[in-house]
Amino acid sequence: MINLIHLTKTYKGLRTVDDLDLGVAEGSLFGFIGPNGAGKTTTLKMMAGVLKPTSGRIIVDGMDLAQEPEKVKQCIGFIPDRPYLYEKLTGMEFMKFIAGLYGMDHASSLQTRIGELLEMFDLTHWGDELIESYSHGMKQRLVMCSALLPEPKVLIVDEPMVGLDPRGARLVKDIFMEQCRRKTTLFMSTHSLEVAAEVCQEIAIIQAGKIIARGTSEELKRVAGVDGSLESVFLKLTEGKRIAHATPLSAS
Amino acid sequence: MRRLYLLLSPRFQGFRNSLTNTGGKGRKRTLILILVGLAFWALLFALSFRVLRYFQSVEVIGDLLAHHLLGMILMVFFSLLVFSHIITALSNLYLSSDLELCHASPAPLETVFLSRAIYTVMDSSWMVIVFGLPVMMAYALVFKPGLGFYVSLLHMGFGMALVAGGIGILITMILVRIFPAQRTRDVIMLLGVCGLGALYMMFRLLRPERLVDPDAFFSIAQYMTALQGPDSPYLPSHWVTETLWAYLSHASGKDILFQSALLWSTAGALTAINVWVAEAIYFTGFSRAQEASRRRAGKRALDLLVALARRPFKPEVAAIIDKDLRAFFRDNTQWSQLLLLGALVVVYVYNFSVLPLDKTPIRIEFLQNEIAFLNVGLAGFVLSAVSVRFIFPAVSSEGAAFWIIQSSPVPLKRFLWTKFGLYLFPMLLLGEVLILLTNHLLEVTPLMMALSSGTMFLGVFGIVALGVGMGAMFPNFKHQNIAQVATGFGGVMFMMLSAAFVALIVVLEAGPVYVLVMAELRGVPVTSWQWVLIVSSFLAVLVIMILAVFKPMKMGLKTLSQYE
Repeated sequence: MINLIHLTKTYKGLRTVDDLDLGVAEGSLFGFIGPNGAGKTTTLKMMAGVLKPTSGRIIVDGMDLAQEPEKVKQCIGFIPDRPYLYEKLTGMEFMKFIAGLYGMDHASSLQTRIGELLEMFDLTHWGDELIESYSHGMKQRLVMCSALLPEPKVLIVDEPMVGLDPRGARLVKDIFMEQCRRKTTLFMSTHSLEVAAEVCQEIAIIQAGKIIARGTSEELKRVAGVDGSLESVFLKLTEGKRIAHATPLSAS
Repeated sequence: MRRLYLLLSPRFQGFRNSLTNTGGKGRKRTLILILVGLAFWALLFALSFRVLRYFQSVEVIGDLLAHHLLGMILMVFFSLLVFSHIITALSNLYLSSDLELCHASPAPLETVFLSRAIYTVMDSSWMVIVFGLPVMMAYALVFKPGLGFYVSLLHMGFGMALVAGGIGILITMILVRIFPAQRTRDVIMLLGVCGLGALYMMFRLLRPERLVDPDAFFSIAQYMTALQGPDSPYLPSHWVTETLWAYLSHASGKDILFQSALLWSTAGALTAINVWVAEAIYFTGFSRAQEASRRRAGKRALDLLVALARRPFKPEVAAIIDKDLRAFFRDNTQWSQLLLLGALVVVYVYNFSVLPLDKTPIRIEFLQNEIAFLNVGLAGFVLSAVSVRFIFPAVSSEGAAFWIIQSSPVPLKRFLWTKFGLYLFPMLLLGEVLILLTNHLLEVTPLMMALSSGTMFLGVFGIVALGVGMGAMFPNFKHQNIAQVATGFGGVMFMMLSAAFVALIVVLEAGPVYVLVMAELRGVPVTSWQWVLIVSSFLAVLVIMILAVFKPMKMGLKTLSQYE
């Protein structure tokens, strides 16, 4: 469903994403983990069409993002790590706005679908409130609602658990697993190794813009030669290597 | 004291870093801004110098006029300073994102308050220095005062800023104690805009131009009464005026010390009062500012407007229009500026109704038509000024939520042209209202009516496209306040280009319009050579208008699609 081919992003001469090759099958929940500044968010933003790659290709559902951006974006839902929204719209109006952007007309079925999603994310009573009065967690849940609204084939999720309370986090994990059962492909970056171990069928570890290991939790344990938690696997695999890029961008 | 310095240091260090770490592009921008600023200073200085020189040439009342003008200027500055402090104090004392860090630190509340109050005085006062300095230097050049003038200007200017700061911060603290901080900002902005609009209209309708035409008054006494401004010996601006005037008029200056003592004792007292009041109510207000309040959205009228506006369009275009209209009319700092715009239109049209055309020796029909044509340029500049405030920030208004547009299947080209379409209709309406109403008052010929309204109609397309396109070329998605976007480098460049566009259209059309109007007034036919001139001029105008529409939109689209 997703194919990243020699994907590279260079900022001021520094390769934040370095010749990435990656394929993700349909209906799988793919975890993308790595230390701070490793290139996770940059990769996800390129996949969502928010950043332009320096070189390489992004193929989603057989279509090249650079060649057919509108068609590719039509089948992608993007959930960024920081939920910046239009503060002067209500939650309901924001959902209708997203529906409009994705060419969904205002039929009664749409109203029902929005109602279901708000209910699912526990936002029904906040639907007519301005977003500016929402908490961080509520904004995050609203972004998830809006990403699911057009029923995307691919969901790109950046740090979904940040700002969520334990109940919200559980809810989100359940929804993601349910989406996978419905054949939606999820590409999720996270710092939380517990979350990755719990929900992801396959995991890739990225460091300094390159994939250093990839596989299921068990396969990663074998590669690392560690018989413990994903945390010890992560620490072992990233041991002795530079955490992120050696020099700050301003130095280049 | 050390803690106070520490709390102030991030601002100074940030300022230093922004100066030293700026790249080549940033330096170029800074240089252009400095040049534009210097040109503005020179213009203001020359204008003030000219006015003061003229006053000096007026016998008997010349000095009186200069004295009154100084008083009026300082009173306006003082009022602006108080208002500016109220607004700035709100963000510096209650809404800034770094306040949590300051309040969580072991610094005493009094120190935190003082550091933010100093920020407020600095942020609010620099604008007055920008506008005030050239005017004061013009006074100095004309009246040639001694060194005492400059010393007084420095310390009394600072003292006046402190007094205005004391009053402004005090008002803000009391307002936030009553309303939540977010609401206070809306209330202040709304009152400020209404007040400014009313003041502007009142000032214009008083017809101050009569003051330079003493013939309009029956007696000197009546003229002097009309000159009296709303001054009071209790106003700090009065103390500064009298001190500076004592030096400017080379008077004995026996009151200088008294006026200075009045100002500085007031500044000291207000500072002490502010610290006491802050100890009592500042933290409670800050704490309340953190509490989220549920805000229900206003409905009905807005729903109706949005439903009407979105009806003819496809869902993705309609969605953007819907969102922009709701965001605009729910932001009190945005829609309230329409009140100012209304006042501007009324005064603009009113100006034409009081033009003393009958007093000129030029043939009236000729003058009416020439003014009507020049009015296209004037209205064009007005539209440019309106555009820099409303249209130039249209793309930046997406703010940090721009990722939604970027990741959506809507092409950026459609997004940009939707913004263009959204602003085109109201701008066409405004442009045509200005032209048609003033032309009606001038009683111009049907030919001039058609020419000027046609030029304005097409010109609006260019101005709007320049606004949207250049707004996309210089986007600022990280702004704290959308009003800041217009005052940046891109806004200045837009104003310059838009003004140049309007001027070019007027210059190119001036020849053909003159030929056509004179031929009509004199009843003589237009020669074939004149037709060549007319057709080629209008063709050139058309080409420029097409370029003004498509070029900036294309360049804006290119910048926006590469935005990271």
